Amino acid sequence: MEHQSTLERWLRGIALSLVVLFFMFPIFWILLMSLQTNETILRSPPSMVFTPTLNNYAAIIAGRLDSNVATMSIEFMRNLMNSFILSAASVAVSLLLGVPAAYAFARHKFRGSEDIAFTLLSFRFAPPLLVLLPLTLYFQELGLANTYFGLIWVYQLICLPLILWIVRGYFEDISPDIEHAYRIAGHGWFATFRKIALPLAGPGIAAAGLLAFIFAWNNFVFALVLASADKQPVTVGALAFVTASGIQYGQIAAAIVLSITPTLALALWAQRYLVEGLSLGAVKG
Amino acid sequence: MTTPLLDLRQVNKKYNEGSKHQVHAVRELNLAVEPGEIVALLGSSGCGKTSTLRMIAGFEEVSSGSILIKGSPIHQRPPAKRGVAMAFEGYSLYPPLTVRENIAFALKGEKLDRQEVDRKVLEIADLLEIHDILDRYPSSISGGQQQRASLGRALIRNADLHLLDEPMGQLEPQLRAILRGRIKHFIKERGLTAILVTHDQTEANALADRIAVMEGGVLQQFGSPAELKDAPANLFTGTFIGEPPMNIFNAELEDTGDVVRMRLEKEVYLTFPGSAFSGNLRALLAKEQQFVIGVRPHAVHIHQDGEPGTVFANQWLGDQTHIAANFAGSSIISVQHDRTDYRNGDTIRVGIKASDLHVFSRSSGNALSHGGDIA
Amino acid sequence: MSRITLENLTKRFKETTVLDGINLEVPEGTTLVLFGSSGAGKTVLLRCIAGAIEPDNGRILIGGSDFTDVPPEERGIGMAFQNFALFPHMSAFDNIATPLTARTLEKSAIQKAVDGVSRLLKIEHVLSHKPKALSNGQKQRTALARALVSEPKVLLLDDPLRNVDAKLRFEMRLELPRLLADRGATVIYVTQDYKEAMALGDRIAVLEAGRITQIGTPEDIYRRPANIDIAKLFGDPTINLLDVIPQRDASGVFATLSDQRIPLDDGYTEFVGEDCVLGLRPEALSFAESSKAVPVTVEAETPFNEKTVTLVTTLRKREILLSRPAGTPAPSSGSARMAIDPRGAILFDRASGNRIDPKSTASAEEAAA
Repeated sequence: MEHQSTLERWLRGIALSLVVLFFMFPIFWILLMSLQTNETILRSPPSMVFTPTLNNYAAIIAGRLDSNVATMSIEFMRNLMNSFILSAASVAVSLLLGVPAAYAFARHKFRGSEDIAFTLLSFRFAPPLLVLLPLTLYFQELGLANTYFGLIWVYQLICLPLILWIVRGYFEDISPDIEHAYRIAGHGWFATFRKIALPLAGPGIAAAGLLAFIFAWNNFVFALVLASADKQPVTVGALAFVTASGIQYGQIAAAIVLSITPTLALALWAQRYLVEGLSLGAVKG
Repeated sequence: MTTPLLDLRQVNKKYNEGSKHQVHAVRELNLAVEPGEIVALLGSSGCGKTSTLRMIAGFEEVSSGSILIKGSPIHQRPPAKRGVAMAFEGYSLYPPLTVRENIAFALKGEKLDRQEVDRKVLEIADLLEIHDILDRYPSSISGGQQQRASLGRALIRNADLHLLDEPMGQLEPQLRAILRGRIKHFIKERGLTAILVTHDQTEANALADRIAVMEGGVLQQFGSPAELKDAPANLFTGTFIGEPPMNIFNAELEDTGDVVRMRLEKEVYLTFPGSAFSGNLRALLAKEQQFVIGVRPHAVHIHQDGEPGTVFANQWLGDQTHIAANFAGSSIISVQHDRTDYRNGDTIRVGIKASDLHVFSRSSGNALSHGGDIA
Repeated sequence: MSRITLENLTKRFKETTVLDGINLEVPEGTTLVLFGSSGAGKTVLLRCIAGAIEPDNGRILIGGSDFTDVPPEERGIGMAFQNFALFPHMSAFDNIATPLTARTLEKSAIQKAVDGVSRLLKIEHVLSHKPKALSNGQKQRTALARALVSEPKVLLLDDPLRNVDAKLRFEMRLELPRLLADRGATVIYVTQDYKEAMALGDRIAVLEAGRITQIGTPEDIYRRPANIDIAKLFGDPTINLLDVIPQRDASGVFATLSDQRIPLDDGYTEFVGEDCVLGLRPEALSFAESSKAVPVTVEAETPFNEKTVTLVTTLRKREILLSRPAGTPAPSSGSARMAIDPRGAILFDRASGNRIDPKSTASAEEAAA
């Protein structure tokens, strides 16, 4: 029903603006903080007026953290690199394993298939800290602790269920008749998977991969326990800013801005795929 | 002049107005429905019929124009205050209520006592053969039964106007014919006014007193089933109404002396006695020279001295036979009420009477003549 | 050789038996229409033959050799689907070409074959379009072209005209038989439209609840339906069904309707006094002035495709539908009289629902001998 007056339209606009303000304000504030010194950040009352400085970014990129007590070196850029390696590799592995598995779960209902699929999802239910203790012991025993390989393995707990369940939904949305039609036309099942199922679920796979990448990127606990300094991602690396002499708010802010930039850029770039992915249902038949 | 029960005046509906995705769904629609009349809005999907119905019901705003019921404008009122009852295409029964409760729910506003409600529900249940499912829930009955229940809910109400959106599309085919008869009888007996939206011309023909044919948001013709069949206003209604569809051919006038001769493609000539056409019409045809002629399949006769065609299909459907033949560069279809034994490849001779001929303008598609007279 | 033979084909999904021991033979080059209401198992049966669904039991033979365990890509079947099942990310040309790309064919050969079949189906001008940009009719023709392009000897058509508009459906109904006959393929055609079934089938197999209840020519099925259910499925308006008990007197066997005598075939003698159902085709009924005609009350008149269907009630309020060519004069309301053409009358056993075959005197003698 669209009986709507001008007043209603205005009220709706104001409500929407409030919501946007509420959610965007922290990010906006962080951006402001990253351009200020610790002194201007901590003054009271806070003010929006300050002389912007890029010192925080310079310090982070150079890897030198100056506080009023001492100078210490941090490896933030390395952390960023680690985040990138870990997230990208674990998403790649998850896609490689998860997409065919999702296809199998979507198309071949075998005895216990639903149980297996659910078990895989249930990995997401376990509180990570609960899993971590035994995992740490195993990893030390196997020599996997503090290796990229080990971390990527553990990250599968995050990525694999996500990709499996999202992509499976997309495969199920493709009418089986379309695949039957291709097979009856004389093509084998693998060709059908490659030429029909994969391209049609493509947007969904991209969406799932992106989501998994963001989840992996934001992970904190696994890396905190299982990785030491040289394998740490940004989420853990940010802890270095909490020094004995105080918290370096300006640099933390700069670090945060730097660490959300890649995922944000990725999300913006992939937006069209996400939209396409959501409207996949419309091209069926 | 009586006041029409429902009056649409220059109604327009535009979606996404002002944006580049603007869709002009209904254009300048004028339609007057008399009390006690059954009117069908007929057209293919996207023709604007459902938008029109939703504007009458109040689920869509009109972009411009006005809608009047019994003379007073209602298009600003909320749906509940318009005095219309509606049966939806998607059934839309309330899932937590039984079929009986769903139907009785429609009477809530009328403050009737229980026995009266029960009596009315049973009466409608008899009509629609839903007696044995009255105490079941919508989720446990079939699509056809749901649709009958939804119809029951719309028909039981005492409203100025009943709106039925594709009311029989999902009905079991074996019940359709008898329900059409019963529903028509029910509506007529109570003097109800109803508008039904359908894409099925069989349904529109069977139920409606008058049919409004729509295409591309524009009303093409508004008339009784017989008018639509015998005097289609343009090529669109001519070929849209009728099953099988009207045969059409491009034709050129050769001669209008004692005989009227028309040349079709592939040197096929149709010759009619000049006296079969009025003088005015002969003058008009002479002026147009080139036009489109149409003839209904039921009016294509097979006899000795007609023009030859080669049979490519002869299909017997139990109560009638459809014969298709290559003719004048395209095909012609003839319907016979009995079985025939023509085989594929046989030559038949087809004859068309001047009184069965429809002539349309080649440029505008508008009808020039029906039978021997100017349209 | 492309005769299709199904032996005892059975398929269950969990507890429901979808196909219950189907035996069927389709001779080479003929069209069999598989007719039934939705949920009868038509689509499952077709998918079993195509290889998209594995049957639990039974065998599928094509040209005499066993194809039951052959994967779909090796069956060499052409199939068109009700929802078209076009590949949305490919152009119409690529869609049609898929059966050819599976083989190692030269590009020019593929081009030639696709062009040929597209010309036949009048879609040459849309070959570069993606399915999204095609109208329903063009989609349907593209799907059909894909099924035909490799000239398969077995064609399975799953209600291909269901989702196209009435005008096109009608055109295709007339064109299809010629197209199929030209290719000499063995065709199984699924539909739930009885007119399509009668128009296209050399023979019709009626499928109900996973079983074939009757197989025969359109004439067999319309004039001699095996039971009441089949009689109701064929014919629009539906056949009228009236409970009767045949009686007999000196002038022969008869039933009564509105206190009027309706003479029946003498071959029904055995069923005198039994509970029966009399089926009357609406087109076998007409209005008449004769005193032998049945008195009825006209309730409503519904025009119907160059015909007029009238709902009338008998003295005992039984509803009957009459259908007559449009334009024939008739009373539009009030009381009237109805004549019955005995050729359109069919008698069924009320208990079993099966049609009763009138025993001609000659065949009765034969049986005795």
